Amino acid sequence: MQKNSQKNKNRPKNLNLFTIRLPINALVSILHRASGMALFAMLPLILLAFQYSARSQQSYTKLVALFDTWFIKLMLVGLAWAFSHHFFAGLRHLLQDSHWMASLQKTRLSSRVVLWLVGISVAIFSFVVW
Amino acid sequence: MLIQLLTNKYPGMRLWLSQRLSAIVMAIYIVLVVMLLIIFRPANFNAWHALMSPIWFRLVTFVFFVSLFIHAWLGVKDVFEDYIFNLKLRAYLQIIVDVLLVVYLIWSSFILWNI
Repeated sequence: MQKNSQKNKNRPKNLNLFTIRLPINALVSILHRASGMALFAMLPLILLAFQYSARSQQSYTKLVALFDTWFIKLMLVGLAWAFSHHFFAGLRHLLQDSHWMASLQKTRLSSRVVLWLVGISVAIFSFVVW
Repeated sequence: MLIQLLTNKYPGMRLWLSQRLSAIVMAIYIVLVVMLLIIFRPANFNAWHALMSPIWFRLVTFVFFVSLFIHAWLGVKDVFEDYIFNLKLRAYLQIIVDVLLVVYLIWSSFILWNI
């Protein structure tokens, strides 16, 4: 392994991300991963909000007041994006596991469908929140 | 066939299947909750509390949380294996994540218990 990588050091490399156009399937896939990590990072805040909403009338009122600030609303929309992308892209992966729509042309179509569904869900969520 | 795949000979297969099964459980739960929210539209604390307090709902939510933490554990583990090449650092980070997830499980049980 070591020897191989030494030998191949002179291979041309292109790691400039701005010159690489990500195919739509790769985009949906990497965003599935990124949104998953974002959701994991947000878990404590989500649990805290759930606790406040369920504990008492007072904590519920506090939470509602907090959710009324535009910064938190923006965060909620971000969270809604992460969730819906992870949800729809995840469903797509499950369907692919069962070999449904597995050809390249069809996966490109399903990627586009996922991005549209995510966009529509986030739009509806933002509309409801505001 | 399936039983054969899930024996100790193929430990990765069990992880793979756990990730999918937990995903399906969560997807069903999410659809259920979104439907409940659309039907009942809880607009104040009492309505929200009434929606969550039945024992069946809290049990189902607990199953959701367990699936969530299994799913998160597998997902984060995969990401660490792909991007963190220093094995010691990876092991330490994994321990932190493990502890966090156990704390989340205890915390969410506590929340559900106290509704």
